[in-house]
Amino acid sequence: MFLAWKEIRHSKGKFALIVAMVALIGYLAFFLTSLAYGLASSYTNGIDGWGASTFIMTEDANDNSALSVILPATYDAITLSSGDKAKLGSFPSVIKSVSSASKSNVYVFGVENDSFLLTSVYAPGALGSNEAVGDSSLQKAGYVLGDAFSLVGSTTTFTLVGFATNATFQTAPIVYLNLSSFDAAYGRPSGAASLIIVKGEVSSLPAGLKSYSHQDFVNTLPGYGAQVATFSLMIGFLVGIASFVLGVFMYVLTMQKIAYFGVMKVQGLSNAFVASSVVVQSLLLTVFGVAIGLGLTLLSGLFLASKMPFAVNTLFYAGITVAFLLFSVLGALFSVRAVLKVDPLQAIS
Amino acid sequence: MENLIEMRHITKDFLQGEEVIHALKDTSFSAHQGEFIAILGPSGSGKSTFLTILGGLQRPTTGEVLIADGPFSRLNSKARTKIRFEKIGFILQAANLLPFLTVKEQFLLYNRASRTKPDEIRIKELFDRLGIAKLAKNFPSSLSGGERQRIAIAKALYHDPVVILADEPTASLDTERAFEVIKLLASETKAEGKATIMVTHDERLIEFCDKAFSMVDGVMKQIK
Repeated sequence: MFLAWKEIRHSKGKFALIVAMVALIGYLAFFLTSLAYGLASSYTNGIDGWGASTFIMTEDANDNSALSVILPATYDAITLSSGDKAKLGSFPSVIKSVSSASKSNVYVFGVENDSFLLTSVYAPGALGSNEAVGDSSLQKAGYVLGDAFSLVGSTTTFTLVGFATNATFQTAPIVYLNLSSFDAAYGRPSGAASLIIVKGEVSSLPAGLKSYSHQDFVNTLPGYGAQVATFSLMIGFLVGIASFVLGVFMYVLTMQKIAYFGVMKVQGLSNAFVASSVVVQSLLLTVFGVAIGLGLTLLSGLFLASKMPFAVNTLFYAGITVAFLLFSVLGALFSVRAVLKVDPLQAIS
Repeated sequence: MENLIEMRHITKDFLQGEEVIHALKDTSFSAHQGEFIAILGPSGSGKSTFLTILGGLQRPTTGEVLIADGPFSRLNSKARTKIRFEKIGFILQAANLLPFLTVKEQFLLYNRASRTKPDEIRIKELFDRLGIAKLAKNFPSSLSGGERQRIAIAKALYHDPVVILADEPTASLDTERAFEVIKLLASETKAEGKATIMVTHDERLIEFCDKAFSMVDGVMKQIK
């Protein structure tokens, strides 16, 4: 610690540049991860909050929930050994503001009053036949409470009575309607649902239905799997390469000082003392750099969250931090190996 | 008189390609308290090999080095490093000092490595005697060659070693500075009761030494 810190203090300019480099690499990795995670979350935010274990749709829908129609009799035939079930109507749509005539792409969810699907986003838990709750992002599109809109292809108008946070599905803001209004708007039999959401254990499933775990259902969303795989690969490579570069950098940094290590060894300073100062210095630089990178990321998130799908994920941040620390220590240890091999004779002519 | 450091029938052979180089031929040597000894010789004479074996930086091919009557050369590398740290003070040509530590911190480094408390009284005593007190907060890059070597002497003495080994301590100094440094080294050797062994190619330094040996082709001969 003594040597590591004294050297940093003495060559402030040089070490500031190194910390800046680590910070920028960290910033890139953290920021991209936040964006990718934010984008992936915007596919599923609206269904993650339910804590649902099982999603049920018809087999004929072929994994496309918008095409699934489950009649009330079939719904009643689904029995649970524990927990709760709820009907969900789900269909992509466009809403048109009555006052400004502006259009927004949305996902319409039809939910029954008092079901956990509604109470989790709208505390009063009941919607009248012409009432709707929208995702808070609609506020950015100019909507305020009390505004009226219509669904394209329909003349019925709905009034916004509430906003829900983080209510997005397949990246679109969700608009919650009463299930009967939903069925009427899409010409479906009264009481029909697209999906049955189960919080608990299903004991029997009528013929013609198919059940999905939460993850299986998320994977049916068009584009979700491919997008997550692409981003994971990109970020995985980014973090891998950045960690490696960092490791090499720490190695080169230490190798530059090999002559001093020879002198220290002549003077009888132990290998452990010299090695620990090398490792501590790498750790110090990486910790400072990563902390600054993380700070920049969170700061950017504050400013950009409204314009980009930015989301904080502490687990991913921790993973990246650990990878950076691990590789910089590995790089340092690699040079330590060279330090240990330094022949003190080199210091004697 | 007690031997502070002693060499018994040391030889050192190197393999260079397929040729065996006898860098040091049957050499015996001892140094006592208060002795300032010079080893002279041209480069390649074996004098550096002599010093590195004496300092435990490499092992002899045959023979043994004892320090304060205890085993030294026969110990493993780690144990020799420890003895070097505790019982030997080194003064090198240059680069004795780490560029990023102030003069005072060069001394504290020893305490850090040995997990001991800095001996402020000892530091002050050495700083005053060697005239480097005013340099305590300077970094090595702002010091002259003579100042650096005076600090190197103080540093070699700081932990109260048994012997001081000096490798061409005057190589980077002009005559006036060189003599000044050597006189200091000689007087410190007496004052502190150490044995100092100095390797040099400068014959003018012999007049300040108690004994002198010349080294030619691995054979050592006393000349003073």
